Amino acid sequence: MQSVTKKRDVKSRTSKARETSSVIENMPVIGGAHLLKVPTLFAIALFLLSFTSRVQSNDTLIYSFWASCLGLLVWQGWLLKHCAAHNCHKTFIIGLKPQHYIQAMVHLSVYTYWGMYWQPVQDHAVLLVAQILFAYSFDILLSWTRRETYQLGFGPFPIIFSTNLFMWFMDDWFYLQFVMVAVGFLGKEFVRWNRDGRLVHIFNPSAFTLGLFSLVLITTNTTDLTWGPQIASTLSLAPNMYTYLFMGGLVVMYFFSITLVAASAAIVMFALSALYFSIAGVPYFLDSDVPIAVFLGLHLLVTDPSTSPRTPTGRLVFGILYGIGVFVLYTVLDLFGSPTFYDKLLCVPLLNLSVQWIDRMVAPLRNNTLLENWGLGVTPSKKANLVHMSVWICFFAMISVLGKTDSRHVGDSLPFWAQACEEGRANACERLILLESTYCNDNSGWACNAIGAEYFYGQNVPQDTERALAYFARACELRFQAACLNFLDPSQISLADPRAFDFRLLLREAGQNLLEMPEDQLYRRACEHGWQFACDKTVSI
Amino acid sequence: MRKVKIIRLQKTLTLFAILLLTTQSAVAQFDADKWWLADEPLLGFVAIPAGSFPMGSNPLIDPMAFENERWSDSRRQGIVEVPLFYISRYETTIAQFKEFVEDTQHNVSDASLEGAANFPVASVTWTDAVSYARWLDGKLRGANDLPIEIKRFLDEGGRVTLASEAEWEKAAKGEQGSIYPWGNQVQQGMANYANDGVLAVGSFDCSECKFDLADMSGNVWEWTRSPYQDYPFDDTDDREDLASDALWVMRGGSYSDEANNIRASVRGAADPGARRPFIGFRVVISKQ
Repeated sequence: MQSVTKKRDVKSRTSKARETSSVIENMPVIGGAHLLKVPTLFAIALFLLSFTSRVQSNDTLIYSFWASCLGLLVWQGWLLKHCAAHNCHKTFIIGLKPQHYIQAMVHLSVYTYWGMYWQPVQDHAVLLVAQILFAYSFDILLSWTRRETYQLGFGPFPIIFSTNLFMWFMDDWFYLQFVMVAVGFLGKEFVRWNRDGRLVHIFNPSAFTLGLFSLVLITTNTTDLTWGPQIASTLSLAPNMYTYLFMGGLVVMYFFSITLVAASAAIVMFALSALYFSIAGVPYFLDSDVPIAVFLGLHLLVTDPSTSPRTPTGRLVFGILYGIGVFVLYTVLDLFGSPTFYDKLLCVPLLNLSVQWIDRMVAPLRNNTLLENWGLGVTPSKKANLVHMSVWICFFAMISVLGKTDSRHVGDSLPFWAQACEEGRANACERLILLESTYCNDNSGWACNAIGAEYFYGQNVPQDTERALAYFARACELRFQAACLNFLDPSQISLADPRAFDFRLLLREAGQNLLEMPEDQLYRRACEHGWQFACDKTVSI
Repeated sequence: MRKVKIIRLQKTLTLFAILLLTTQSAVAQFDADKWWLADEPLLGFVAIPAGSFPMGSNPLIDPMAFENERWSDSRRQGIVEVPLFYISRYETTIAQFKEFVEDTQHNVSDASLEGAANFPVASVTWTDAVSYARWLDGKLRGANDLPIEIKRFLDEGGRVTLASEAEWEKAAKGEQGSIYPWGNQVQQGMANYANDGVLAVGSFDCSECKFDLADMSGNVWEWTRSPYQDYPFDDTDDREDLASDALWVMRGGSYSDEANNIRASVRGAADPGARRPFIGFRVVISKQ
């Protein structure tokens, strides 16, 4: 029989409960022997999901699901046996926290909008549900193994959603996704510290597991097991994604007063990007002033209120450090030849570790009236948050008008990078090769032929005839005539202008391919990108 | 009705018998130690002597001629001079292609390696065909016991490649320019055409065919090294039009074509990335 009591009744039965008493005070409690089987229900639901066509499409996926179910059921069996022997009493405390369900709703809206423009997101929906079921079952079992209560709410939702907004494993390696989720919850449970007299988790659970797995993937050179880079590059397929994230971010900022974290990180990054461009003459990030995935991260990953500083000043510093951290890590990863995509993930756990230090560092500002008046002191205030939000809205509007968000970015233009490379500007030749390689992977025959020629002559890359021929062959199969002739007889290398089909890929500006765009518009756009022959063609059209 | 059934059965049995006999006899024609090339003095390469031939079709002689076989507005056929080259007697087989794939780990479709060893390789892209030719070129140059004639030709600037359109057509129709490799009339039992599938290379005895080459008509279309361009044929202008989408000439028709498409002058063309069960290739050694 189900019993509903108040937290006070439970508190006397558990020593651990004292640690979280202030959080769960007055929350309804559900108890009863039959509740012990709830994790099994989640495991069974997970097992049933394994029969959906999405999961059945890949053997590894099926076995990953079944292995996860088996693990959960074994754990559940042990817990039942243990409880029967020791007469345990396990309960749920119902705790529907806004920071969980509001964050989850914002996450979900991002998935919905992004998924409208990138099919794999839709395909991933079943796997997201599976991870949520797994997370509930795992989290309940973990809590009940260590104490008598489990705080039942929407907690696992934002953890799963925010993890998957940055990384998910490919089907053949999907069992690692369950491991990643489990590690997130283990980190939340075991890696704790005493903060302001309360024992709380140090790391943002999703950022912790993302950071840890990023590190492992980079050090083992297995970064290609995940969809991470594809996720990062396809967010912008949805039109006006910066504005969309900005709007979603405002909701989170309003409810949880994290404006200073997100806004300061964004402002620092835009400022550093502008500074770099003014010095080097080329953009710091390849295709935007602040990459879209970083923009997402600074709104929905780094802003967990419970793992960021408590004071407004601390949050300001936290955000600034995140901005600087991402900026620096981008270059560091590039120097080590690692995918730069991980920049936004690796620095969050480090920043989580530094929150107490930040709070202590800003403590002397307690009596600074000026800062307090600006809402940047140590006393949080809802009114100050609204002022900060206004400033952020103005800043975002300004940079949008300046074309730094959803508009075309100078780094989108291949002729720009070709020119910059010729002029010997910093990283320009590497960027040119990277762009050509990206467009070649997108099936642009022109790009494959261009990069093939670079490898053939050893221009901007080490000379590699075999690789050059492979690129020519690929370009040829994409019907780029010059490449076929180069492949047949490499003693004479031909380069040719991009075809209309190539432009539909080359000019997409990190958005959708321009498959429907009329040719005259396409050539006009090409002209704007700096393709001189397209300007001549525009005149003739 | 019953008679039709009996005829069908006879036809099937005949084809099966040909298949069985040719499979067994043709295996013996190829040398596993020589990359499965033909077990002949010149490894299956046949010399096509230097000289001119009439390229294209004359509709007065060949009423089945297509418009794209016309040489120019003013001329039906052109006279083209082709220097000495060597062409493989047989279409490249699955065994030969498999040897290349195993040696280089070249990425191909599984379909290209399915089938009996002496069947023509098919479902290969144009780039697969060129890659094979390049690989064989390297193997022949590195061989110690290469036939002296072939070795000399390679040393003098020859290379293993695909045939140009002109080379292919000359090899198929000869200096006089017949409609089919065996003459001007379509004949049953000379080529694998209007059929349901490929047969082992050299399945048909075609001693009447020019230069005694097998399957120049039918079996599988054969990739050439010529981009598809309007006649007159000129292999020096291949790099002049780079703006168009690539389309490469294939010759000879296939098992699924009717008599009009297996004529020696027929010009087919395909996307270089196309993998079709009716497109294969044969190689030449050419100095051009």
